[in-house]
Amino acid sequence: MIGLLTLALAAVPAADSPTCVADPEPPTYYDFPLVSTRRVPGTGPATGVGRVTFAASPFGVALAADGSYLLDVWLSFERLRLPPEGELVVWFTTPALDRVVRAGTLDETLRFSGQVRWNKFLVVVTLETDPDPSAEVWRGPIVIRGMSRSGMMHTMAGHGPFEKENCASFGY
Amino acid sequence: MSPLARRSGGQRALLSAALLAVSALWGVPLAGQHEGMHHGGGDGEWRMPPMAADMPMLPGLEGALPPVDPFLAAAGVDPMSLPEARPSEAVTLGDGDTLAVTVSLVRRTLQGHTLAMYGYNGQHPGPLIRADRGSTVVVRVTNDIQLPTTVHWHGIRIDNRFDGVPGLTQDPIGPGESFTYEIRVPDAGMFWYHPHVREDVQQDLGLYGNLLVVPSDPEYYGPAHREELLVLDDLLMDADGLIPWGEQAPTHALMGRFGNVMLVNGSPEAALTVRRGEVIRFYLTNVANSRTFNVAFGGARVKLLASDVSKFEREAWVASVPIAPAERYVVDARFEEPGQVAITNTIQAINHFRGEFFPHVDTLVRVVVEDDAPEADLGAEFEVLRENGDVVADVDRFRPFFDRPVDHELVTTVRVRDLPLPIVRSMEIDTLYVPPMEWNDAMPMMNWLSTAEQVTWILQDPESGAENGDIHWEFEQGDLVKIRVFNDPESFHPMNHPIHIHGQRYLVLTRDGVPNDNLAWKDTAILPVGSTMDLLVEMSNPGDWMVHCHIAEHLHAGMMFHFTVHPGDEGDEGGSDAAGGESAVGDGGQSAVDDGGQSEAGARGDGEDVDRGTEERT
Repeated sequence: MIGLLTLALAAVPAADSPTCVADPEPPTYYDFPLVSTRRVPGTGPATGVGRVTFAASPFGVALAADGSYLLDVWLSFERLRLPPEGELVVWFTTPALDRVVRAGTLDETLRFSGQVRWNKFLVVVTLETDPDPSAEVWRGPIVIRGMSRSGMMHTMAGHGPFEKENCASFGY
Repeated sequence: MSPLARRSGGQRALLSAALLAVSALWGVPLAGQHEGMHHGGGDGEWRMPPMAADMPMLPGLEGALPPVDPFLAAAGVDPMSLPEARPSEAVTLGDGDTLAVTVSLVRRTLQGHTLAMYGYNGQHPGPLIRADRGSTVVVRVTNDIQLPTTVHWHGIRIDNRFDGVPGLTQDPIGPGESFTYEIRVPDAGMFWYHPHVREDVQQDLGLYGNLLVVPSDPEYYGPAHREELLVLDDLLMDADGLIPWGEQAPTHALMGRFGNVMLVNGSPEAALTVRRGEVIRFYLTNVANSRTFNVAFGGARVKLLASDVSKFEREAWVASVPIAPAERYVVDARFEEPGQVAITNTIQAINHFRGEFFPHVDTLVRVVVEDDAPEADLGAEFEVLRENGDVVADVDRFRPFFDRPVDHELVTTVRVRDLPLPIVRSMEIDTLYVPPMEWNDAMPMMNWLSTAEQVTWILQDPESGAENGDIHWEFEQGDLVKIRVFNDPESFHPMNHPIHIHGQRYLVLTRDGVPNDNLAWKDTAILPVGSTMDLLVEMSNPGDWMVHCHIAEHLHAGMMFHFTVHPGDEGDEGGSDAAGGESAVGDGGQSAVDDGGQSEAGARGDGEDVDRGTEERT
């Protein structure tokens, strides 16, 4: 599995994160919703929000060497109950699901903060009854998930002013 | 003394109008210069900029042209009759020395095309001026092109009369005229100079150069084997040569003019030979109209030392150097493996049509790492990340004011009118997601067709509702001012903006509420879409000073205003003291900072009253 995330991905309480020494005010524009799958008892009504901003950087814009954004991510939830058994584990993955990174676990207040190095990514929270910090992909059921706001950027082929373009000719 | 009269609102409005007028001023009827003339491989007529082959034309825009006339430098002049531009030459100026600089046409050969461009003293980039910190150098500029021009000394806390802003600090230098700039350099570091008249054209055509202010402390930085400049630029060309610029107003007003030919130190084929283990100090300056680069060093370890107006509090290892227009960074790099590598612009570009990010790499410099190591091994020193006590001590004087209330807010936004309907519709759909940064021109046709006559980029003061030239801020010399700048993502076409403040220095205290824990004094800082940054500006330098976006096309689409710093009780034209390490506007005076965010006026150390900024007409 390709581990593109840094060690900072480990779930750390917001107050302990070096990038969270003050109350962050991430741009609300880039907030994205977290939606329950309703597959795990007691988590059906859960909702959540993901917030991102650039990780601390002397340049103001934090980038990985390949030019990908290095983003601080905060997840928070409402009406989410911790299941009686297992842990709620946070995963980041690409939209194509070809790369998955275990980001950490929700803290006692059911919050999470970490970093991601992809411009477009999915957040997946799963219930893992046999937590394995070295796991490369989730095994338990998906409790709640969301996609970065950049996921709303999609092909124009076949849409709007390009509705006459043949999507297939662009490889879709 | 150079007293600054407090201007009435009417006077300010006139001044603002003059600024805008001059920013679009050519001074001579360009149409006359184009008649029947040809340039390079082109004919002075509009040609559509190159687009990715797999990107379809936006329906309804076939055959559309920008609603301004095309402009190319020296149309009608055979480029072969022009002197070939020389690479930048270093010139060291002692205190009081004078350098004569002529702005003229030069010949460049790029991508197989012979082109007429501009140069300072026949050089592209212009001369690298080296001066000792605290010295005063004199540069007499003679304009030998057919456009009015000025020279702005970017980042220098300069005497206001020599800031080079037409309509605000001087009249433009007309064709055949001269102007003498007296430049006192209070801060060590890398600065640069460029025109402040239609820089979307003049700067793009080659009018830029560096001013290196040499620190008096020989150990200001750690040891390095040698120094190299990386002046980063891009030019927009097609198979026929340069894509023309807009005559009456800039094209590419939405996103700024991105080039497709990368230039480093004026060359599309920059090369460097280093020795294995050699520590190279790179001074990076981004002179591009709009492009923010992400400079990667081919796997070499890179240590960040300094930015615009000072070193950082602490040196830091970095993976790459994102650098926005007008910013500067100083880094040390050590290439440890022999072979060939490249310094690149490595980005995740956007294809808006496909709705995806994609990796993109531009080679900026080809680097050959030779196997023989330098005699002096600086490996151990290179591994040390220094804490810069002088910078920390300087910043410490301001730290008590970091939590002061916000004094002024600015919101960035944009308005458009009379854009072709297909562009408006397409962009409305595209705003489902707006990236925080535009690393490439993802919509070249739409961008090209938008001009500063249709697009107004706006700095808005939400407290007064005033916009751009109608914003009126006044300060006293020595004031500390916290400015909160928010890049509104809900506007029609939000974009990142490098925010430049003339004549002062500032700290970026926070970004999106997160304190900056490694500060450097700045004059330009990038503001991504949706983000908020708090700046603490030390109003050390009296005069009328501009605030603007340093994307050249955004500037000329209105995104600017000016504020006034009134001289303090002891001040004259020279600015306050800001002694801190290698930063001293005065000669060793003490901090201007006192309590409550207000400060006493600093005294200029030398007290010399210079008045050499006279316009000379020949």
